[in-house]
Amino acid sequence: MQATKFQVKLYTRAGGIELEKLVPVFHEWIRNKKISDELLIDVADYAHVPQGPGVVLIGHQSDYYLDVADDRPGLLYSRKRGFDGDFQAGIDDAFQRALRACELLEAESSLDLEFATDEVLFRVQDRLNAPNGDATYAAYKPALEQTSTAFFGAAPSLERVGTEREPFAVRIRTGASGSVADALAKH
Amino acid sequence: MTSWKEQLGDRIPEQLAGEVDLFEGQIELKKQRKLDDKIFAETRLRRGVYGQRYDNGLRDDGTGQKTLAFPCGDLTKGPDTVWDAPGMMRIKIPFGKLTAKQLEVLSELAEENSDSILHVTTRQDIQLHFIHIEEAPDMMRRLASVGITTREACGNSVRNVTACEYAGVCKTQAFDVTPYANAITKFLLGHPDVQDFGRKFKIAFSGCEDNPCGLVTFHDLGAVAHVRDGKRGFRVVVGGGLGAVPVQAKVLAEFCPEEELLPLAQAVSRVFARLGEKQSRARARIKFLVQKVGIDEFKKLVAEEREGLRPDERWTAFLDDLHATDEKPVRDPGAIPSDAPAGFRAWAEHNLKPQAQEGYYSAIVTLPLGDFTATQGRALADLARKYTGDSIRCTVEQNLTFRWLSGVDAVAFYDGLVALQMAAAGAGTITDMTSCPGTDTCKLGISASRGLTGELRKRLTLVEGELDPAVRALRMKASGCFNSCGQHHAADIGFTGVSRQVGGRKVPHFNIVLGGQWTENAKSYGLVVGAVPSKNIPKAVDLITQHYLTNREGEESFQAFIARVGKREFRKVLAPIQKPPPYEEDPSYYSDWGNPREYTIGDIGVGECAGEIVPFVEFGLQQAEQQLHDAQDALEAGQAGAAALGGFTAMVTAAKALVRHLEVQVKDDADDVVANFKTHLHDTTLFHDPFAKGKFAAYLLKMHGEQSYENANDEIAHRALDEAQLFLEAAHACYERLTQAAAAAAE
Repeated sequence: MQATKFQVKLYTRAGGIELEKLVPVFHEWIRNKKISDELLIDVADYAHVPQGPGVVLIGHQSDYYLDVADDRPGLLYSRKRGFDGDFQAGIDDAFQRALRACELLEAESSLDLEFATDEVLFRVQDRLNAPNGDATYAAYKPALEQTSTAFFGAAPSLERVGTEREPFAVRIRTGASGSVADALAKH
Repeated sequence: MTSWKEQLGDRIPEQLAGEVDLFEGQIELKKQRKLDDKIFAETRLRRGVYGQRYDNGLRDDGTGQKTLAFPCGDLTKGPDTVWDAPGMMRIKIPFGKLTAKQLEVLSELAEENSDSILHVTTRQDIQLHFIHIEEAPDMMRRLASVGITTREACGNSVRNVTACEYAGVCKTQAFDVTPYANAITKFLLGHPDVQDFGRKFKIAFSGCEDNPCGLVTFHDLGAVAHVRDGKRGFRVVVGGGLGAVPVQAKVLAEFCPEEELLPLAQAVSRVFARLGEKQSRARARIKFLVQKVGIDEFKKLVAEEREGLRPDERWTAFLDDLHATDEKPVRDPGAIPSDAPAGFRAWAEHNLKPQAQEGYYSAIVTLPLGDFTATQGRALADLARKYTGDSIRCTVEQNLTFRWLSGVDAVAFYDGLVALQMAAAGAGTITDMTSCPGTDTCKLGISASRGLTGELRKRLTLVEGELDPAVRALRMKASGCFNSCGQHHAADIGFTGVSRQVGGRKVPHFNIVLGGQWTENAKSYGLVVGAVPSKNIPKAVDLITQHYLTNREGEESFQAFIARVGKREFRKVLAPIQKPPPYEEDPSYYSDWGNPREYTIGDIGVGECAGEIVPFVEFGLQQAEQQLHDAQDALEAGQAGAAALGGFTAMVTAAKALVRHLEVQVKDDADDVVANFKTHLHDTTLFHDPFAKGKFAAYLLKMHGEQSYENANDEIAHRALDEAQLFLEAAHACYERLTQAAAAAAE
């Protein structure tokens, strides 16, 4: 079975972030259906957990985290349900949704957030279909390179990260220096 | 591999594999709409698959209630429970004991199926939230492969068996209760005699009488270890519980020999299944049966049941190897280095406890609000493997305890926690609060207990070093509603969520409960001092602790101080902050901690018509509150009869206010008020709580029927006041519903 539980994280340009400011923003996204093609349900606040998921916008198809894992804040898109499309399209879609969420967050005047595009963390939360090993990496590498190039232009450099007991993860150095809007426009 | 079932193969015990397959089949049948909603709901509950807030497909976004358009359409997983709506999985961890491998698998599931957070509950379970029901079977298989089952984690069954986290390593224990807790867990799991309960059944073990860890007094069945004439046994108590009306368990057996423990539990289960309430959920816990028949009759019933039991070799088989559950340290014992750094020493003051075994310690990892991440879970598993072995225990204070830490390794273990940002000090102190999920995820939550405890923790941690030791030692616990999952009754300062109607809007409040006792297995429960707006609770904590520090005599403890000055004095202390400012002046009071949505439902009318009606009923409810406070004072003064009467009077006053609000003429005497209340509010279900139904109305009707207050003893009076408190809360809620209905009709 093909894995679909993809996660894409883009990091903020400045390190610090006041997580509590995300809570009203995400509630407002639910109220005003800011992500119009997804069902958004609730907000989970884990700001009290060090290096944790931060503040989570819980949806039906996906969750959106302002995640502070490894003390590196970033927007983490996490698909939970199946994706109606092929493998490459599934990865493209995850990147696109992550970037669109970043763009929305950058537009929030209360946050003063900006996201970097030079680095992307890609993960698959499915140890059955995508164990963290060389075979999975070999299967995902071409698709990730294609997606990264499509959004960020330059040839990326990829590195598999973590151990086999952790979810499959790839750190992508995109070679880009532009904005989130640039990346979305390029695709 | 295409499935976890294939991948795990025979690593899943055969019986558990069959059970999961069966559940998966039931899921398919439900999807085909071939299973009844109620039957499926109880089925999944008994598998630990629980509901969560908004799973009815409705959510108020702060501007009004909106439908959550899940793609499943009208498919449900229980009455009013939408199939696609996220739910919670409660994972039983018997006596809180976890191995490193189990912690790793739990962490994997948190990442793949939840939101990367593992939550430790006040009953030593682990909960994962935002789970889709169709992912539950594979989660269960992965858990089963490491010896964990979610069976009977919820539903009307024997819930997780809890025990002191220091069992086996404690200096004050009579003996290690672990093998007994393990035996009863296995014996009762799926036992035919525990399948027909009207409600849940909770069992707890304690190794001694004095320390709080086991908390047996508020369990349905509790066992405290004792040795008599060289023989092991237990003082067994029955019929305790928190919930809406907290009850101290009664002694069922002063000394139950170890070989009689399992048959006694079986006999109790059979009596409960046979005679316990089945129709009225509100009175179905065993505490109501014990109250109804009396403890002496209950003992007799259990003894008769025990006589008729067919012998079962499992009753005593485990006694042949009481060391089967022993843990083996992975390191040699030793002393803590004398040059340990200051940071370590500050942490060790409350987070490191010497074990009975010389040279070993139990280390408490404090978890903020009981939460930790999957990444932290894996790292903690590594620490366990390196320093302590498979000796992790979830605690009832929502922490993790690592036992068998050699003193030689204590600093290195601490350094490991520092690297994980998990070295918060102050375990068991005022900053180490416990909280139920409250409005964050619980369907029954009234106020944001997690939001509140998060806020208090943040504030108190900043000033932790400056706190007087007597204040720092206090325990605070919060529950989002009267069901008391946060165990607030047993805290020095407890909070329970309530709502109040102010100026036509709802305001989140917490009732403050003072005087609960955590020690001696939670020997006594606190009483409500008064409701304070949520946003004023931090001020309330300051006022209460300052009043204590300023007015205590010598080294007088907080509990002794409260016992001496009484709750009336604290009501005066809190009076200035009990009334929220008008909405126009400060709208922040009208939303809860950590939740910017307006707490009130936006369409409540505030027109002139409502304005004319509101003052009278609010006056009546306030008068009832005052009567209840006076009754609490009477109880403190040792006047149990007057206290019980006062509680009843307060209920009658509140009932009268509501009856008159319905424009029904009513006389001043209690008979007429109760008769009219029954006709117009009870029988019409207007007074019914959405979840507790007629439970609170029944308190008034029952007490009116008894009319023997003058003979009430302390326990009866205490219960009467608890019931009156809940009746008043229900009266406030009823008034809010009536107001909303009137506003809707006016529109």
